[in-house]
Amino acid sequence: MASSQHVLLSPAELAYLHASLSLTPPIRPDGRSPTQFRPLVAETGILPGTNGSARICFADGTEAIVGVKAEVERTRTRHDFPSLDESAEDDDDLDDNQNDVVKGDNDWVEMTVEIPGYRDDDAGTVFLSAMLSEALLADGEFTKRLWINQRFHWKLYLDILLISPPLSYPLPLLSLTTHLALLAARLPRLKSEGDEDPLFDDDWAAAPYLYPRPSEKGSKATAPAPAARPPVTLLVMAVGNNIIFDPSKEELAVADVALAVSVGESSSSTTSTTSSKPTAMDIDTEETKGHNLRLLSVRTIDPPSRLTPPGIPNASNSAYGANAGAKDTEKKKQQQEQARTAESEAVEGVWKAPRGGAKTLVMATMVQKVLEKGGVADEVLDALDGVDLN
Amino acid sequence: MPITILPPKAFRDQPPRHSLNHDSDDVMSDATSDSEDSDSQPGGVSLDGGATIHPRKRHRSGAGAAASSTFTKRPKTNAAINSIPRSAIVTPGERITTDPQWMRGHGTYLSSASLGEQAITSSLAGIVTRTNKLLSVRPLRARYTPEVGDLVVGRIVEVQAKRWRVDVGSTQLAALPLSAINLPGGILRKRTETDELQIRTFFAEGDLVVAEVQQLFQDGGAVLHTRSLKYGKLRNGVFMAVSGTGGGGGVVRSRRQVWTLESANNGGPIDVILGVNGYVWISKHVEPVVPEEAKGQTGITNLEEVVSATMYSSQNDRIEPETMREIARIRGVVTALVENGLRVDEDMVTKGYNEAVELALVSADGPEDVYLGGERGEQLAAALTAV
Amino acid sequence: MADRRRINGPVGTTNPPIYDDAPEKQSEGVKVARSRPANVIRRMYLKTGVTPSASGSAYLEIESSGNGGSGLKLSCSVHGPRALPRSTPFSPHIILSTHVKFAPFATKQRRGYIRDPIERDLGTHLETALRGSIIADRWPKSGVDIIISIVEGEQDRETSKAQGIEAWDTMNALSGCITVASAALADAGIDCVDTVAGGVAALVQDAGDDAAPSIVVDPIPSEHEKVLAACCIAYLPTRQEVTNLWFKGDLPASDMDVYTQLIEKGIQASKSANRVLVDCLNETVG
Repeated sequence: MASSQHVLLSPAELAYLHASLSLTPPIRPDGRSPTQFRPLVAETGILPGTNGSARICFADGTEAIVGVKAEVERTRTRHDFPSLDESAEDDDDLDDNQNDVVKGDNDWVEMTVEIPGYRDDDAGTVFLSAMLSEALLADGEFTKRLWINQRFHWKLYLDILLISPPLSYPLPLLSLTTHLALLAARLPRLKSEGDEDPLFDDDWAAAPYLYPRPSEKGSKATAPAPAARPPVTLLVMAVGNNIIFDPSKEELAVADVALAVSVGESSSSTTSTTSSKPTAMDIDTEETKGHNLRLLSVRTIDPPSRLTPPGIPNASNSAYGANAGAKDTEKKKQQQEQARTAESEAVEGVWKAPRGGAKTLVMATMVQKVLEKGGVADEVLDALDGVDLN
Repeated sequence: MPITILPPKAFRDQPPRHSLNHDSDDVMSDATSDSEDSDSQPGGVSLDGGATIHPRKRHRSGAGAAASSTFTKRPKTNAAINSIPRSAIVTPGERITTDPQWMRGHGTYLSSASLGEQAITSSLAGIVTRTNKLLSVRPLRARYTPEVGDLVVGRIVEVQAKRWRVDVGSTQLAALPLSAINLPGGILRKRTETDELQIRTFFAEGDLVVAEVQQLFQDGGAVLHTRSLKYGKLRNGVFMAVSGTGGGGGVVRSRRQVWTLESANNGGPIDVILGVNGYVWISKHVEPVVPEEAKGQTGITNLEEVVSATMYSSQNDRIEPETMREIARIRGVVTALVENGLRVDEDMVTKGYNEAVELALVSADGPEDVYLGGERGEQLAAALTAV
Repeated sequence: MADRRRINGPVGTTNPPIYDDAPEKQSEGVKVARSRPANVIRRMYLKTGVTPSASGSAYLEIESSGNGGSGLKLSCSVHGPRALPRSTPFSPHIILSTHVKFAPFATKQRRGYIRDPIERDLGTHLETALRGSIIADRWPKSGVDIIISIVEGEQDRETSKAQGIEAWDTMNALSGCITVASAALADAGIDCVDTVAGGVAALVQDAGDDAAPSIVVDPIPSEHEKVLAACCIAYLPTRQEVTNLWFKGDLPASDMDVYTQLIEKGIQASKSANRVLVDCLNETVG
């Protein structure tokens, strides 16, 4: 589904919404604070037939479920690649990223998004799935988790289903559900060694999580380092200088600009690989902090506001009382002149679809709001931590 | 805290609608227990509704039918009518009665029972209601079915040559003919071709109108009119759609669908329009401004002219932030009512609003906090049902 | 994303052919390093009015990298504004539809005739970028189709070896698409608030162990050891506004400075492309 799907709102409604969202602080139609999300109900492990699953629903009945399925697949060997020929030490520990042999391929993950009422090759659906998989694959660490040995890997199928018709742009909902499903996902424990055909433990209770838990991690690492987490994609919009999170459909209809910001959290081990960056010092200072956030992707979402019908100022409205009876040409000419000025100037209380783009400063602030310490991404990840993963 | 994630409830708090159903189960068993010893009672109508709950009743239906065939010869008494429960849940295909004294209403059909008898059978899942001798089934949840005289809020979705097509949440789009609106510039003006050409200047796609159902078509389509000063284009507020009528939740037909609420916190008067179709409009109350030159001459036609001047405007008046805040609060109240399965009418909205103002006073952010989602909505609903 | 209208071949993949006769040192992973300064984009050739039958059209060619590969060649045609079909509902604005398609022979691995997810994704990005620049309410009840064929994709002989850099090439392709579509729209005489052009900037890690990551504009992924992050920006220079932003990569959150610099470099790249665009349009008029 396209974010720019035809939103049928009257110019008067749009003008009202825009005015109330432009106030400081903005008044949202449902009374939320600018950074507040709609309350949601979440659970994981709802589908025993999957490797991991999650369900999230909003109070208005919008509901999404995600199922993760994994299959063992033979890795395509490439004879031209010398690094694959040399069978160095075998390592079946998925967590061990030090070994260069552990390699991932983006083809190992297949993500499909299903929105009821939309074709699966609809541009909007493709856009959503591209956005979600882009965030997941951005750091190249995720696919390494799927490595079994030189010859085999896990092929992961992520099926994201929206159960209800989309009442609002479903991106945040789908992203949060995917996040939980991946957190809850487990792969059978490998019993075989080296490059032989993989053999797995039947005991599901022994199956390790795809994303190891901090507690498990704590036993291995010396410090209880924050574990890596799947990414979350947040929808942020701006009206004037107000930055608003998790917009509803009506709010998005008056947005000046909307961004989808994907944020990931990496474990400290991956941080060390990138510490050659000029910002190594910043990272060091952050070690002590709760979340080790990383910016994975930012995308502009085409706000539907540009397609909304414009309002007509009373001055140039021929159906407006005082002008209605006006038949003489002089008055009409005057009206036309007014109409011309109305095109360039904004009249208070009259909706006008935004033109042009967004100021870079506003866009930078939007990303900043997501990422800053104690910002929205931090709190969302904290809240997701509280979800029972069973 | 920007986000609240709750675990799913094992059993959702039963909304009052359901608890009502539990009551009705009791009513039902009362009714059936009545009919059980009803051999002495006249008009023991067989109620298969009871059979699903008490399987032992199932084989009674034949006896019931036989009984009813004997009893219909007798004069009907009040007991016979009472034995049809006021609110029993029936499902499609469930026999309601074979007693020929009843007439078949909406949500039912006639099926042939034994001995060439006709049984009134439910075709919907809903509550049996009776109006005199008419038995009908009101669905638990349904789209709006228009009735003449209903006040509805609708959205223009299509503009045709001489009429608009309006979404009123019904199965069919309603029609609003150009001839059924007040044309600007006086009520007595004749409709001209210019008006037809300019049809979009009155209402365009997306515009919201408040109108009355004037006439119904056989297929359920409605014809609307706005030939009154209280009808017309909506401005200065917010729209929301609550689920369809029936089953207790949502907007119900009541004495007053439109009223002005004096809001707290300097919000000023706020108009609330509860369309019977479940579309709600909450807006700032605006007194019609009488221009200087028209002030001298008073008269009904003049006033109408003045009011109709703003009828087709799409420009909002200036709205104070305080008013916007209270509008958002009322919207939150209506949402909370709907999400908790309560009916939405003047009484409930007013009570809910007063309760919400009280709630906001004790909230951390003070009276400016208008958020009523999630737990707060439940709190509000609990406070309302407790009274 | 299965093609539902045709019978397709097997879904399995094949390895693209690798030619053995490539110079030995290159196959060992020694790459041709970037010779341009970090803030200079590649030269490009832009011409409008190449397809006489279309309302507007443009052709863009970006010079190839030094590795003996091919550069980017894009052809864009604009059809419209024209009346919408009868069945479509009234629209107070022009309806924009964008199609981006790689020619089947544009990339090393042959592409089918059905648009794949990448192409659809590109189309959505392009639509976002253009919608901000056109004055949509000047053309009510009408539609315009923007069709871009990527005649030749950007690639090197060696790219098949380095996995995962196609994604970065997509950004370069998008930036080209935006620029060429903007030229074609101007050629078609559709009102725009400003000319929009695309620009790409990337945070790259060069070969060599201790080299610090640096930001370059208009990156060629094969010229660098690793691309850490990249962004593609559609920018309106006179209004100083961004109509489309696409950032991808992996940056620590504490690194807002790097992010901001990357965006700034992207805008700079976009401005450079815009100069070419404006020159080209001036030439056509003059």
